[in-house]
Amino acid sequence: MKTTKTIFQDGDHKWVAIVRDPQKPNHLIDTNEYLVTHGGRGLVLDPGGAEIFPAVFSALSAEFDPSALAGVFASHQDPDCCSSLALWLEFNPAMRCYVSWMWSGFLPHFGGSAETFIPIPDQGLDIPLDGLMLQAIPAHYLHSSGNFHLYDKQAKILFSGDVGAALLPPGMDGLFVEDFDAHIGHAEGFHKRWMGSNEAKRDWCERVSQLDIDLLCPQHGAIYRGADVQRFINWFDELPVGILSR
Amino acid sequence: MTTALAIAAAPVPQAGVDLLRIVQINEEIKRVVGVSFKINIMALNAIFLAKRAGTAARGFGVLSNELRVFSQNLRCCMQTLTGLIHGCVNEVSLVLQDNRLARLLGETAKLAPQQATLAGVMARRSRQSEQHLEQLFRLRRQLERALEEVFQMVELGGVLAKSAKIEAAYGQSFAPSLAQVSGEFDGVVEEIRGSLESLRRSPFFAGNRDR
Repeated sequence: MKTTKTIFQDGDHKWVAIVRDPQKPNHLIDTNEYLVTHGGRGLVLDPGGAEIFPAVFSALSAEFDPSALAGVFASHQDPDCCSSLALWLEFNPAMRCYVSWMWSGFLPHFGGSAETFIPIPDQGLDIPLDGLMLQAIPAHYLHSSGNFHLYDKQAKILFSGDVGAALLPPGMDGLFVEDFDAHIGHAEGFHKRWMGSNEAKRDWCERVSQLDIDLLCPQHGAIYRGADVQRFINWFDELPVGILSR
Repeated sequence: MTTALAIAAAPVPQAGVDLLRIVQINEEIKRVVGVSFKINIMALNAIFLAKRAGTAARGFGVLSNELRVFSQNLRCCMQTLTGLIHGCVNEVSLVLQDNRLARLLGETAKLAPQQATLAGVMARRSRQSEQHLEQLFRLRRQLERALEEVFQMVELGGVLAKSAKIEAAYGQSFAPSLAQVSGEFDGVVEEIRGSLESLRRSPFFAGNRDR
């Protein structure tokens, strides 16, 4: 079963990371799911693939009543992000799924009805959660052509989807990045191959440099905190990615 | 089996095997449709031949025309079978999906036994799954019945072909050519009968008797 780690709490405003399942089959890529709660409502960020739904659901339900989930935020269209959607909707068909307009016609293949999807326009969207306003930040062409990250101004947390992801070897599975130089080697190949455009990458680096971020939370690997956040942005800004990195 | 846990424990591969059997049935249907086109062309040629033979082959001409109608009717029936096959594919796909969801919900129930909502969700899924199985059962029976009707029609086609053989004997100087054509008719109808026999024996229909 996955474990939950509270990474931010201020009263009823909370961020929970759902991570590291020792029982997870090796052929599935390891993913981090995040739960943002505020007031009595919650939002799951990249809730994961269908096969890991039991592990994510059980871990989440130990922390929060799943029937109080308002929705799902899908950074992009990949199955490891949101192929569990149909299962979440079994519990609460009123849940909404925020996703790039580009993928709002594709994700219904995972489940949901015409009402389920709230398409995010290219420039981004403010997403309300029981009085809290979260921001969908554009990250297009960083892994996916229609891609968004989620910023919480109050908690100073940026959920960065596949940006910042690292494929960590066994034994190196801490929740936070402890040694940036040792860690970043495990992120390099992934970013070079999966991020499609240097121009898009520069845009993103500029955009997020202007945000006040304490924690940068990727969908795979460890969370960057404190000075490592800016260190990562600088590293990423310098890294040749996509076809130019050959 | 009506409980969600019982569904979760159901033999998952069955639906996959069913899908494979449906594909095999569909291939055989396509073969029969191909052969029915062949009958149509053969019947057209036979009609022209009968016209050339004149009054001696009038009966042969009538039968050739009947065989042409038979070929058209056969194609209509095969279209019905194809429609039913598509329905079966749809339901089997839903059953496969049900099985996967039931397995995942079953695993979730084991990991989160304290979640009261799970029982309700699983019960609802179980009802839906039962409906899909019922619908698949109905479609199987419809398909089996439709296949029986086609078989009866092909029996009639066989009678027509055999009658054409007899009529060919009265074709005077055209008798050898008419006999050859009627022999071909008979062969083709036998080919269809063979295909339908193999369809009848498809293990896919065993699902009707299992329930």
